Amino acid sequence: MKKNRPVKTSKLDFIIRIAGEGGEGVISCGELFAKMAARTEFHVFTFITYPAEMRGGYSMIQIRLRDMTIYSMGSMVDCLVVFNQEAFDNSIEVLKPGGILLYDPATVDIGKLDSEFTLEPIPLTMMAKEATGGILGKNMVALGALSHIFGADMELLEGLVRERYGAKGEDAINKNSRALDAGYRAAANINIEAKFRLADLKASGENYMLLSGNQAVALGAIAAGCRFCAGYPITPSTSIFETLIRLLPLVGGRAIQMEDEIAAISAIIGASFAGEKVITPTSGPGLQLMTEQLSLASMIEVPVVIVDVQRAGPSTGLPTKTEQSDLKYAVYGAAGDSPRIILAPTGVEDAFYQTIRAFNLAERYQVPVLMLLDQSIGYRKATVKMPDFDKLSLVDKTEHRKSVSIPKSDLIPIINRMEPDEHELEDFFRYQDTEDGTSPMSRPGTAGGQYLATGLEHDERGLADQTPKNHLKMSKKRFRKLEYISKQFDKNPIEFYGAPEAVIGVIGWGSTEGAIREARYLAEEEGVMIRHLHPHTISPLPSRQISLFLLRLKYLLIVEENLTGQFAHYLKAKFNIRPIGIRKCEGMPITPEEILRVIIKVARIDDEDNSTSL
Amino acid sequence: MKITPQAYRKEAVKPIWCPGCGDYAVLSALQKSFSALSLKPEEIIMVSGIGCSGRFSHYFNTYALHGTHGRAIPTALGAKAARPDLTVLAVGGDGDGLSIGGGHISHAARKNPDITYLLLDNNIYGLTKGQTSPTTPTGYQSKTAPYGVSEDPMDPIPIFITYGISFIARAHSFDVKQMTALITAAIKHRGMSIVYIHSPCVNYQALSWDKLREQTKELPADFPVDDKMKALVPAYSKDPLYTGVFYKVMKPTLEDRLEIITETARKSRHGLSVGMSAKQVMEDFR
Repeated sequence: MKKNRPVKTSKLDFIIRIAGEGGEGVISCGELFAKMAARTEFHVFTFITYPAEMRGGYSMIQIRLRDMTIYSMGSMVDCLVVFNQEAFDNSIEVLKPGGILLYDPATVDIGKLDSEFTLEPIPLTMMAKEATGGILGKNMVALGALSHIFGADMELLEGLVRERYGAKGEDAINKNSRALDAGYRAAANINIEAKFRLADLKASGENYMLLSGNQAVALGAIAAGCRFCAGYPITPSTSIFETLIRLLPLVGGRAIQMEDEIAAISAIIGASFAGEKVITPTSGPGLQLMTEQLSLASMIEVPVVIVDVQRAGPSTGLPTKTEQSDLKYAVYGAAGDSPRIILAPTGVEDAFYQTIRAFNLAERYQVPVLMLLDQSIGYRKATVKMPDFDKLSLVDKTEHRKSVSIPKSDLIPIINRMEPDEHELEDFFRYQDTEDGTSPMSRPGTAGGQYLATGLEHDERGLADQTPKNHLKMSKKRFRKLEYISKQFDKNPIEFYGAPEAVIGVIGWGSTEGAIREARYLAEEEGVMIRHLHPHTISPLPSRQISLFLLRLKYLLIVEENLTGQFAHYLKAKFNIRPIGIRKCEGMPITPEEILRVIIKVARIDDEDNSTSL
Repeated sequence: MKITPQAYRKEAVKPIWCPGCGDYAVLSALQKSFSALSLKPEEIIMVSGIGCSGRFSHYFNTYALHGTHGRAIPTALGAKAARPDLTVLAVGGDGDGLSIGGGHISHAARKNPDITYLLLDNNIYGLTKGQTSPTTPTGYQSKTAPYGVSEDPMDPIPIFITYGISFIARAHSFDVKQMTALITAAIKHRGMSIVYIHSPCVNYQALSWDKLREQTKELPADFPVDDKMKALVPAYSKDPLYTGVFYKVMKPTLEDRLEIITETARKSRHGLSVGMSAKQVMEDFR
């Protein structure tokens, strides 16, 4: 193996996990702590898993705090808080040697634990009862204790509690405050030297938000100019819909809950035809119901954005767990050749900008755009810099056919639909066969712009025409958009990380980006160089970039969270490759260590190969 | 300025219907209604489903969307919610509206969008040559019921009344004058309106024209249109088979409801009088 190369290391990287039973307020406890931390100079990243039911079952939140950018939830934790036995049994194996364990001695039997941990029993249940008269409040007792240990500003915390429970009335606020206070006082006896004190840290710049991936999608849609949403609630996408239905009326938009996913996508097709920028959020089972209308959108060339926050499947599957297993369905799920664009954001901030890009592409090419998130991005929260709205730039109609850059915090292009000009309206060809496959689309109300959008095969005017020649011509026209977009990728910066000369390459997509990146850093520390490609666009693929990446590569590892290697299969159909699959199908995100293990194994094989050939 | 009924037709496109089909009469009535209401063709969106009547949108010089089977109503609802300034219609048949798309009607009724739905019932799947529809009479030998239809036919008008659709009328395709009047009233009605039109198939006479003619009777002029319970009696009647308006009430439209939501949302933000910007709503997440 090659010599060590210095890598960027952080001075502070701390992980707290709070685990308990669904309904005990574990998530609220963690989120409030994360919110406090987000006000400091720390970067914050949370990961949540909870059961699909309202009450019962294992539930946890993991909060990672770091003085540098955070790419994944991390693996081993520094501090573990457990509310009950199941939480203890499920989580104790991830506590680092020397880590802090806070537990309720009344509900948790820690058995014979190695003394390498710092053990702190706190009677959460009893204290909650004393403070509130009930057992609901354990989470506030725990939060109070954590606040003392990590030196939180109690005034700030009280304010956050008031904000969160304000709607439930004064009584609820008071009970929560008493429990919080009890936990805080109880922890005064605990003698732990914490690695940081929140109140002593520098405050963050003013412009940070703490967003979940789902919230980032909703805000991205609003920033992109989307003012219409129709949806049907489905875990784990519901918080996109909830955020949009709350915010759209405030920005002059409309949002409607429909009777099912078929009605939801039908409504956005109708609204888009009528001239609005539209979105519907869903998850795998909902996407399946939407497929017929997705084909219609391809056929009548109406811009729509569909967000699939993937759960673990098939069928109802594991609604609150993560997986990347809708890929094949997203790419191929259609009767007939039905073009669509598929984007895969890699994290919370990226979800915001990729959503804007989804609208830009949908409107520019009049094609359905599917965004594939997964539960791990949708539910995780991360600090995201507030975009600079002065950098919002409307792309002029006349510049439509020019290549448009990918939205980034320092420049956010916003594209609106290409409409016919006066000259074109004199004799309007709605589906005019053009160089890039896109034709002007008139907005209802425009005289002379009337046309028929039919799911039947049609000619350039939009009239039904099922002749062989016309079907070939119009099919090619619709697919030319994807060819054109693929060519445009050559103008984009390459999504390529690591050492270009490395013989081991890793390709991943979507939410695994952070884990792969951290695995690369860890490999580099061990002297193993790798290159990493992470395409954000799954369809059409950036073919030239992938071909370049594959040049002089000896080992290709493809990372994905599903059993069958859907992405590897998809790439194999397009490139001559023999990849090694790194797959996880457990409903949980893959960790850097899991990827690293395979990288190291491959590096050893390569070393042996090199020495035998000498 | 008066717009002639002909101005709404896309003359170059010839209907696919058989000679003698009742749908020609509906086409003519709809053109006359548009003309009577002086609607501009560019301010109309017509959404249609699949089947003989699904082809309606092909023949009009309006904005038109010929979508998938059974989804005309939610598609039209989306269009109207996005653009309350336009006149939005949905057109479909008994298979499209009562079978595959039947589930959407009750939910649209709850929202009451200001759209007009023309449901053309020919009691059969005509375009695909004679399969059973939800309104094919029991015993009729269709292509998918070679030993006779075993199910009971659906009775749509009482269902619509129960759903609470705010304007419900029945017409026959052999009476263009009455049909025009009913369609015109339906489009004028503020809220969701259904004009249920018997438009029998000339090839597969699951319900015969002659029988329809014999049994048809107009509802009395003084029929109370705002009473659901009273409306159900003539709605269930087979002989006579009543035509005219069964039910008509005023209630908030989907557009009204969305407007109220906007106002309530603004009130929750210290009574804003204007909308917020994208930047302002993002402050919530700081």
